[in-house]
Amino acid sequence: MTRVVVIVCAAWWILAGTSVVAQSKWQVSFGAAGGQEIARSRIGTTRERVSGMVFGGEATTSRGRFVARLRYAQGRVTNDTAGRDVAEGEALLGYRARPWLTVWVGPHARTFVVPGQSDRRWLLWSGRVTARGTLFPGRVTSFVELWQGFTGSLSRPAESVTGGGAEAGLDLRLARRPVWGRLAYRIEQGRAGSIGRRETVEAITLTVGFDR
Amino acid sequence: MDPHRLEAHRRMTRAVALCAALIAGAASLPPAAAAQAAPAVLVQAVRAYDDLDLDGAAGLLRRALSVQGAGALAPADADRAMMYLAATEVLREHSDSARAVARRLVVANPRFRPDELVFPPQVLTFYEGVRRATPAVTARAPADTAIRPGAEALAVRLYASTVHDVTATLDRDDGRVLRTLYAGPVGDSLDLHWNGQDSTGTAPPNGRYAITVTSLDRQRRAVRILRLPLEVTQGRVDTLPHPAPPADSLLLPERQSMKPALRAFAPAALAGVAIAVLPSIVANGEDASGARFVVGGTVTVAGLVAFFSHHPGRSIPGNAAHNRTLRDTWRREDAEVARRNAERARGMLGIHAGAPVLITPEAP
Repeated sequence: MTRVVVIVCAAWWILAGTSVVAQSKWQVSFGAAGGQEIARSRIGTTRERVSGMVFGGEATTSRGRFVARLRYAQGRVTNDTAGRDVAEGEALLGYRARPWLTVWVGPHARTFVVPGQSDRRWLLWSGRVTARGTLFPGRVTSFVELWQGFTGSLSRPAESVTGGGAEAGLDLRLARRPVWGRLAYRIEQGRAGSIGRRETVEAITLTVGFDR
Repeated sequence: MDPHRLEAHRRMTRAVALCAALIAGAASLPPAAAAQAAPAVLVQAVRAYDDLDLDGAAGLLRRALSVQGAGALAPADADRAMMYLAATEVLREHSDSARAVARRLVVANPRFRPDELVFPPQVLTFYEGVRRATPAVTARAPADTAIRPGAEALAVRLYASTVHDVTATLDRDDGRVLRTLYAGPVGDSLDLHWNGQDSTGTAPPNGRYAITVTSLDRQRRAVRILRLPLEVTQGRVDTLPHPAPPADSLLLPERQSMKPALRAFAPAALAGVAIAVLPSIVANGEDASGARFVVGGTVTVAGLVAFFSHHPGRSIPGNAAHNRTLRDTWRREDAEVARRNAERARGMLGIHAGAPVLITPEAP
């Protein structure tokens, strides 16, 4: 299944990069992000809550109606008794169906690293929809993004997983400067059915970036 | 059954069915068809008259004249039909009937003269005799006019059937005489003039009046009275049209619309609501952090700022000034027209004339 999705995405990317958007310009944007993340794990009746700062970056490129987005962040989340490192990332291909609406597809992964144990990695292939609305034309937009994982896996214990999430916030651009900022709230949940494991992550992130 | 009888029975059945269809078709014809027939009947009647089928012509002419309403003969055709009927009755030696029809024609149209190439001399002589013995007038006046009392006059033209004496008076609506306009003989026609004043030399007040023309016989008895109704209005004669107020399409909006403000606020409101609500949808059963309201609140506040930055409902001075200029120009033009109308109408008398009515037709 994963292989099929990869092939579809690759075909789409090739199309996007050749004839369909041949007459458009490439637009590239980079950003650095930092934020507070809260992760809640639940296995049956056992619960654990950890929180901490994560930092990362993102890169977006677009040509015509096609968009690609890469995000990566890492940090450490702790509580009074335990702590673990977290690394997360996503690679998405998108199509701007309307000026205000973009649909995406691609993988989304998060890995928790606990000393003395092997990594626990959540990988979800997801479909997403992003809707944007203008508050101040060219300056401030709000956005809401919803995603749903249609297939996924957990590395330890090896398990197929499902999940979904949402992100909403505000994008600001400076007038006559290629600098932008974003304030966003994100929540997502991964579920491993057979063992009743749920991993819920909330994050408030602040991103500052620039366009090239 | 005998084959011949069977065939006869079939033919009979077909004939009955055909008759029934024809009757049904005739019954379903619209009533207007009969009414529309009056001019056609007149054509038939004239043909019958030319063929000297006088009985048939008389019947057809009476039928054509009896049609009322939308299908009735036009006034000129009615005059022609009456003349043909009078001629038919003369030729049939029904002199009383001929006289009654001719007199009816003279009263209806005193100016009517029969065509000498169509009717024989005996008919022409007969009609001429009736016309001379039937004093009658009709009147023509402009439907709407304005005069300056004492300086100008309303002209009413009278057309007479024959030379006879008439009296013409200006009456109130209740019949009281305000002024005698003319008393004397009338030949072919006569112009009556009313200078807009009563017998005391003053203009009558607003109201309904009538010019009454009484035709007199040789014994000076009133044989016919014609009333021409008048409606008199003082000083309200708008001779210049007032300009139309500025069209809505020329006016600019004087206040900022709410739409752009709402369009700016709506995305922020939706994002704010989404931040508040989505955790319960995405991560049902988890207690989402209250920190999300910081982001939700920020988005909502940004939306409010965007909303008020459009200044909804605030007046637009430039547009208001543009509209004020348009309205002021229109008001000035309207006032100027009103002033010029008032100047022109000062001392003027507006007169509206109705259709003349013959209120005492002579008994046949």
